[in-house]
Amino acid sequence: MAYELQYYPGATSVAENRRKHMSGKVEKIRDISDDDLTLILGHRAPGSDYPSTHPPLAEMGEPECSVREMVEPTPGAKAGDRVRYVQFVDSMYNAPSVPYFRSYAAAINFRGVDPGTLSGRQVVEARERDMEELAKFQMETEMTCPALASLRGATVHGHSLRLPEDGVMFDMLDRCRKEGDVIIMHKDQVGRPIDKKVNLGKPMSPEEAAKRTTIYRVDNVAFRDDAEVIEWVHRVFDQRTIYGFKPEN
Amino acid sequence: MADDRKRMFAKHMELKYTKEHGTNKMEGGKITDMTVEYHRLGVDQNPRKLEMKKAGQELAKKRGLVGYNPMMHCGGIPLGQRALTPSFLSGTDDMVEIDDLHYVNNAAMQQMWDDIRRTVIVGMDMAHETLEKRLGIEVTPETINHYLETLNHALPGGAVVQEHMVETHPALVDDCFVKIFTGDDELADEIDSQFLIDINKQFPAEQAEALKAAIGKTTWQAAHIPTVVSRTTDGGQTSRWMAMQVGMAFISAYSMCAGEAAVADLSYAAKHAGVIQMGEMLPARRARAPNEPGGIPFGHMADIIQTSRKTPEDPANVTLEVVGGACMLYDQIWLGSYMSGGVGFTQYATAAYCNNILDDNLYYNVDYINDKYDGAANTGTDNKVKADLEVVKDIATESTIYGLENYEKYPTTLEDHFGGSQRATSLSAAAGSAVSLATGNGNAGLSGWYLCMYLHKEAHGRLGFFGYDLQDQCGATNVLSYQSDEGLALELRGPNYPNYAMNVGHQGGYTAIASAAHAGRGDAYAVNPLVKVCFADDLLPFDFSKPRKEFARGALREFEPAGERSLIIPAK
Repeated sequence: MAYELQYYPGATSVAENRRKHMSGKVEKIRDISDDDLTLILGHRAPGSDYPSTHPPLAEMGEPECSVREMVEPTPGAKAGDRVRYVQFVDSMYNAPSVPYFRSYAAAINFRGVDPGTLSGRQVVEARERDMEELAKFQMETEMTCPALASLRGATVHGHSLRLPEDGVMFDMLDRCRKEGDVIIMHKDQVGRPIDKKVNLGKPMSPEEAAKRTTIYRVDNVAFRDDAEVIEWVHRVFDQRTIYGFKPEN
Repeated sequence: MADDRKRMFAKHMELKYTKEHGTNKMEGGKITDMTVEYHRLGVDQNPRKLEMKKAGQELAKKRGLVGYNPMMHCGGIPLGQRALTPSFLSGTDDMVEIDDLHYVNNAAMQQMWDDIRRTVIVGMDMAHETLEKRLGIEVTPETINHYLETLNHALPGGAVVQEHMVETHPALVDDCFVKIFTGDDELADEIDSQFLIDINKQFPAEQAEALKAAIGKTTWQAAHIPTVVSRTTDGGQTSRWMAMQVGMAFISAYSMCAGEAAVADLSYAAKHAGVIQMGEMLPARRARAPNEPGGIPFGHMADIIQTSRKTPEDPANVTLEVVGGACMLYDQIWLGSYMSGGVGFTQYATAAYCNNILDDNLYYNVDYINDKYDGAANTGTDNKVKADLEVVKDIATESTIYGLENYEKYPTTLEDHFGGSQRATSLSAAAGSAVSLATGNGNAGLSGWYLCMYLHKEAHGRLGFFGYDLQDQCGATNVLSYQSDEGLALELRGPNYPNYAMNVGHQGGYTAIASAAHAGRGDAYAVNPLVKVCFADDLLPFDFSKPRKEFARGALREFEPAGERSLIIPAK
């Protein structure tokens, strides 16, 4: 019998969405061009080569090593790309993803990534082209709502603030705006103005966000209503506590 | 119970977020609204920022060198794109500018730390025995009174024994004094009242009996060296300064010959044999002397705060006052300055003692515990619940979910605690303290703290900064660790305990949990009766029974600190 991965407990829509994010089987709902992505990440000019930190591995004359032979390098590592980052901020108000699930999604579904998780933001470092693959995946799918999540390499403040009237998460640097029925980004992720407006697509309606979110909220799916998740948190807690007390148990 | 409860933070949130302050134009809306208009008015919406901006401009003009300029923030984007709201000190109606809760701007905060650092407790009994057995000198209450009079002259820097000595100006060191305390009522009766910390007067009867039983017939000096000395030197200076003056005072008061051989014995006995520092010395890699905040165990800090003798019938209040004092000391001063460098940590700590958010969570827990566990959160020892994991899970889970739902139902609370580290501190301090109150067991409370962290992380998919995710996910394992260096009772852990040394937002909460266990039982002290009695002294400039009110007085510029030098510098 083939083993089917079980990513997460819980019987609610939030738990189901968490399982989806971790499995990587998420719905693609918008397109971001490679040039637009490069522009808003802000690491290099669109169309330019990837700057490298070393020659391609094939030209490096690497020492003999069974692990090196066993592990296929990622395209970025193979080419010698420098390490760059992408950083997301997700609103507490039903943003589709949250820092831990962005991290889990990255770590489970992508190779050569280094996810960092904090309360207000989530950063992934990787070789530049590998990072872009992940960034594009997260931005084009239901993991992201352009109004309730944004790319922020600097000044991440805003995830816990009330939403401004237009529903676009507060950003002191005003990188994103709602224009018409879409969200545009007119600065890169660290807040430098860019040459053109990048269309990030339509924001999710409040109903759609509530349906797709991975955060428990009492006004949507209450944490206390997902008994199985709480039971598993208790189980983790029990085991860690008892382990410290008497490790042979 | 949760839904019909009047939230303690509601009034403060309404005043903070729906009323106009200065020129911030925030009037209108409800604290349950998820959206709001941010006017992006920058620093000009806040009176304190305007004062600071003006001062920065005057400074630049005066010295010909630029200084404070709020437009420097983030390349010209000013702080205060959203409204800069003032805060209430929890448990008070005092609304203050948050800049005034930075310890540099707050004289009461400075004095709290000064009063701790400049304190040392020194035993008298071995010195008396040396005098009696080695030299045949008779020690009586009269001689002790005379010695204390001498020492209260010498301790601030007055000369005894030697002539032609420089001395300190008494008005510069008027906060320096020494008193004694003892568990021996008969001896206490013989001591001049000006020199005595009277346990019977300072503590409720039951607490006084417990303290006297613990202290027994021993006698101790509670010494506070001058603030200005402590500030100029370090915590290690406290015992050195005390030792010098104690030696001289003994020699003078008992007419000893300074060169006789017995003086060496007396010196050791008087200065070193029974010394209690507020904080232990830290290892060389952290390079701090004794009596610096990184060495102060949570139990000592819990005892330094004096609320337990003022409101013993309200253990939650005791806990919350400890939160305020300990978060300020450990987060703002120790981690925020000694360990990291200066700016920012105030913001973490204020979440724990501002705007009644933590207070609401803890008092909800008290009601929950008293309903479900038959009054276990009331003061007492016979009403406690057994400290097992099922109890920890039940109370900590209910506390955490209640607190999380407050952030979800009241978006202004979420905005007030703008980051996960603040939320995590507040939620976990509530959960841990509640378990402590119910069980009378600090380690059970600590266990509740860690479970709260797990639940918080799982519910919101986020926690604090990286440090939280490290410390708080491995913490449960060392609550009851079999490894000796990781298994200490919470009262004996401190800022330098493994894993606790680097994370802002934790140590004040841990202190509260330690305190709550004993406040819940109605204990007279948490870990050290000597420390508890030493700070039961109304002569100290900082009122340790209500630190949050004192911080408010500091922020409102109503607090009068000690150690000022205006007497000897050009007056302004």
